[in-house]
Amino acid sequence: MKATILTTTLLLISTLLVHGQQIRAAYYGETITHYGLKVSYERPIYSYMKASNSIRKEFLFVPGLAIYRHPANHIGVIISPELAYRRTGKRGGQFEVAISPGYFRYFLEGSTFEAGQDGKFRQVPMAGGNAFLPTISVGWGNDMSVRHQIPLSWYTRLNLMQQRPYNATALMRFGIECGIIFPIKKS
Amino acid sequence: MKSLFINLVCSILLVTMGASCTEKDTPVVEKTLFLRNKGADMPIWVRGNVASNKMVLFMHGGPGDCAMCYRYYLKGLEKNVAVAYWDQRIAGSSSGKVDPKTLNYEQLGEDAYYAVKLLKEQFPQTQIYLLAHSYGVELAWQFLTTNSNQQLVSGLMIVNGTFSNYRWLFQVREWVLREAKRQQKADIEQYAQTHTITPETLKGFDWQTMYRKMLDLGGNPLSLYSNKKFVLNYVFSSPNTPLAQFTHGSAYQSYFDTEMLNFDKSASLKSINIPVGLFWGTKDGVVPVEVGYETRDLLVNAPKTLVTFEQSWHEPFVSETDKFVREVIRFVNP
Repeated sequence: MKATILTTTLLLISTLLVHGQQIRAAYYGETITHYGLKVSYERPIYSYMKASNSIRKEFLFVPGLAIYRHPANHIGVIISPELAYRRTGKRGGQFEVAISPGYFRYFLEGSTFEAGQDGKFRQVPMAGGNAFLPTISVGWGNDMSVRHQIPLSWYTRLNLMQQRPYNATALMRFGIECGIIFPIKKS
Repeated sequence: MKSLFINLVCSILLVTMGASCTEKDTPVVEKTLFLRNKGADMPIWVRGNVASNKMVLFMHGGPGDCAMCYRYYLKGLEKNVAVAYWDQRIAGSSSGKVDPKTLNYEQLGEDAYYAVKLLKEQFPQTQIYLLAHSYGVELAWQFLTTNSNQQLVSGLMIVNGTFSNYRWLFQVREWVLREAKRQQKADIEQYAQTHTITPETLKGFDWQTMYRKMLDLGGNPLSLYSNKKFVLNYVFSSPNTPLAQFTHGSAYQSYFDTEMLNFDKSASLKSINIPVGLFWGTKDGVVPVEVGYETRDLLVNAPKTLVTFEQSWHEPFVSETDKFVREVIRFVNP
């Protein structure tokens, strides 16, 4: 057990020492208006740049955490370990696609009561549920370090998610992210 | 300058006092409850004037439709009474992990019982009136004809819904025959003539084809989604779960195949003794007004009123909103 914890810790520290790591901070809007925040950590798995045209292509590992509120319905927490592909053009324009298995935890926003065997109601604390939330994302942005020497990117993207289980089947959800990406280690 | 200042202060005080009085006279509530039962988390949003001590519990149709989505049209009630918008299991914004086998009248009647009981516990001084639409009317009859449940509520308003799915389909076919003749649609008329319905043929009756032909004849041309303001409100600024509506249908297959056709409360309606208001869009082909007349005649022991909406089809609260709101308030405050 000790060895497992030690190995995991060393693995995490070693990933932090790798170059090109970035942090993303974004407005997260489930159905656009159900407001929240998303923070992700971005680490390149593989990247290359063509010397002839300065186009950079990267495969990234982007674990993230989003929290949002759908008023009078629920508060949602999404943990998304994403695998992303990003292309940065010679002028800094970025295009990105990503996939993620995802974990979704929601808390009902209201007092929840369950009827007991005796017919009396019992209030359920922290009522809600857990779900699998596979997600595909597509996004655009701009790396401002390319033309303006500002070490910052902005990005926006659309996430399509499927909540499983939802009642007897599954539920499609969509959300947007609008935010910035800033480096924590130079590549 | 001094008098101007005094005038200003007095005006602010008067406006503030006026505002507090208004708030005191009509305190509004925005309370969100969830009822958990047999795997389902069903929201009950309570909105409106609780000081009236009167609450309208909206039982939506479908099956699989939503309650809160119709707040857009029912909001006018909230100045006078409180309104509870309840989304049934596998409907509207209800969530959880629910077995489709629980989509039967007995279970939904039990859910309705708990919804009413919970509201009575949360608002002990309040009289509850049911406002049931379409499929919600079947649930209301299921609830009211079980045990002594009708003692829990002060009245029932039914809107274009049935007490028996045999009588419903019988009247839909009659409506199709009439309209096909009037609109000179010989093929549809011939189809309806050759597809008769009796209690014996009910189980094998292809009701879905008859239903489609009714819609082809304009039995309910009103589309909620043609109102862009309604759609925008529904998707972006309400507690409804957008897109959920499109997921519920598949869970109801077994209900449509077997459960639905067995529903018949004709014999039980005589036991109803609470006031019943029958609100009907008379142009409706989905649940024709003749079903309303039959319901009225079966309610031999209940005080009843029939209000018709001549410009409406299946959702009179959408097509004649103001009149509908007035009639509900008149029923609740006679």
